[in-house]
Amino acid sequence: MQASRARLFKEYKEVQREKTADPDIQLVCDDSNIFKWTALIKGPSETPYDGGVFQLAFSVPEQYPLQPPQVRFLTKIFHPNVHFKTGEICLDILKNAWSPAWTLQSVCRAIIALMAHPEPDSPLNCDSGNLLRSGDIRGFQSMARMYTRLAAMPKKG
Amino acid sequence: MSTQPTSTMVSDSIPMASSNPKDFAKKKRVNRSAKLKQCKLDARREQWLSQVKNKGSKEEPNGEGGACGQGIHVANERGNLMEKLAIMPQGKEEENGGCMNHYSDFDSPSNSPTSHTSSVLEGNDSGTNFTGGSSSSNSSSSGGCCSGSMSEEDNEEDDGCLDDWEAVADALAATDKKQEQHNSSLDSAPESDGNVVNMSSQVSGMDSSQQNPKGRGTLPGSPVSIRAWRPDDAFRPQSLPNLSKQYTFPMNSGRHYRGGSVWGCKSLSIPTSCPICCEDLDFTDTSFLPCPCGFRLCLFCHKRILEEDGRCPGCRKQYKHDLVEGETTRDAGCLMFRPARSCSMISRS
Repeated sequence: MQASRARLFKEYKEVQREKTADPDIQLVCDDSNIFKWTALIKGPSETPYDGGVFQLAFSVPEQYPLQPPQVRFLTKIFHPNVHFKTGEICLDILKNAWSPAWTLQSVCRAIIALMAHPEPDSPLNCDSGNLLRSGDIRGFQSMARMYTRLAAMPKKG
Repeated sequence: MSTQPTSTMVSDSIPMASSNPKDFAKKKRVNRSAKLKQCKLDARREQWLSQVKNKGSKEEPNGEGGACGQGIHVANERGNLMEKLAIMPQGKEEENGGCMNHYSDFDSPSNSPTSHTSSVLEGNDSGTNFTGGSSSSNSSSSGGCCSGSMSEEDNEEDDGCLDDWEAVADALAATDKKQEQHNSSLDSAPESDGNVVNMSSQVSGMDSSQQNPKGRGTLPGSPVSIRAWRPDDAFRPQSLPNLSKQYTFPMNSGRHYRGGSVWGCKSLSIPTSCPICCEDLDFTDTSFLPCPCGFRLCLFCHKRILEEDGRCPGCRKQYKHDLVEGETTRDAGCLMFRPARSCSMISRS
């Protein structure tokens, strides 16, 4: 428990020190609970998520970093590996491929990479996965872009 | 639709909140252990101080600072060394050669701590032999200094030896100067003698190089000596720093190894804190290489990982079983295992 706290504190300091290192990721710790983090990530360019800002919620277990953090999207996203309702993310490094050497920052990077490279064969969002698996790239992209505009972009007017 | 996420949030946050008081207790415990550690350190320091007091009481009755007594001792020796070295300038080449060999041992980072200490021993031996070549009385004095520092375990004790080496370096510089002087001072023997006295009274080589022109100025009307010192003035400031650098850099690392604080040197390639728990790595941790991929972590985290999935955080491969066994013997804390372990580490990496 103490180890996870020390580790998270170090990550917090690291984030404060290198705030500008990765402009696509903004990682914020909860004011009162170091086990709760929020991240804002920018949708990668040349994807339907370009221009959107997505919010992630981190819940860090006490066994961290031996156990992976629980991460989910708070912002609605149309992606084959993200549950449309709960925001749950299907990503190997958040499950069995987790390594204690990873950090919250690197998890954010992995999620950005997942947004750019969806894995339709292990879908949490079946509609999205089916579109991609049937080869309807255009259909997938228009749906994803629509939800990005609706949920991840600042409202106009 | 929106109730589901919030419900999970609540259920998550309840155990977290309840865990906070426990964290507080832990923190307190850590503070107490830190205090204990400090107590131990203080006790050890006092022990060491009393040792030094006993040893240095012959020279310095008040013996307040061990380093002080040592410094005076070394300063006395310095004069000795310089005179003795000046008598045998050809010994200098030997000394340089021997030293370079011995320092090249230090430079190779893959060496185990034990091999380093052995090389330190050799280095001291060669140093003693060399001074013995120049004069028997000198060898006995410097040898005594070295052996004294070897018998002590603490870092500060080694400073005496370091000073000794610096004294040798200074003496070498003085020897150089005297050689150059001898080349040119056939006509003006009395002046050069005065300069030698000046030099040997100087402690640092840089100061003596600045002193030399002054010494010349006090004795005007000797064109030969001016001609002789011109090239010397040009050379000294460049060559002296080089010399002192050569000696101080390896000696620093040697001192670290002998003192047992290896992390000072090894930190070049090894992280100072465990990447998993962010605690500082101690000596045992830094010499612990559990996976051929080179990922290092503290023994505590390694044990915790073994209890769970047993995969290396660096490469996600299973830790090998023989390494696990080696780890348990290490946990027994037996010093006798150290050489064997460091040897096997080298072969693995």
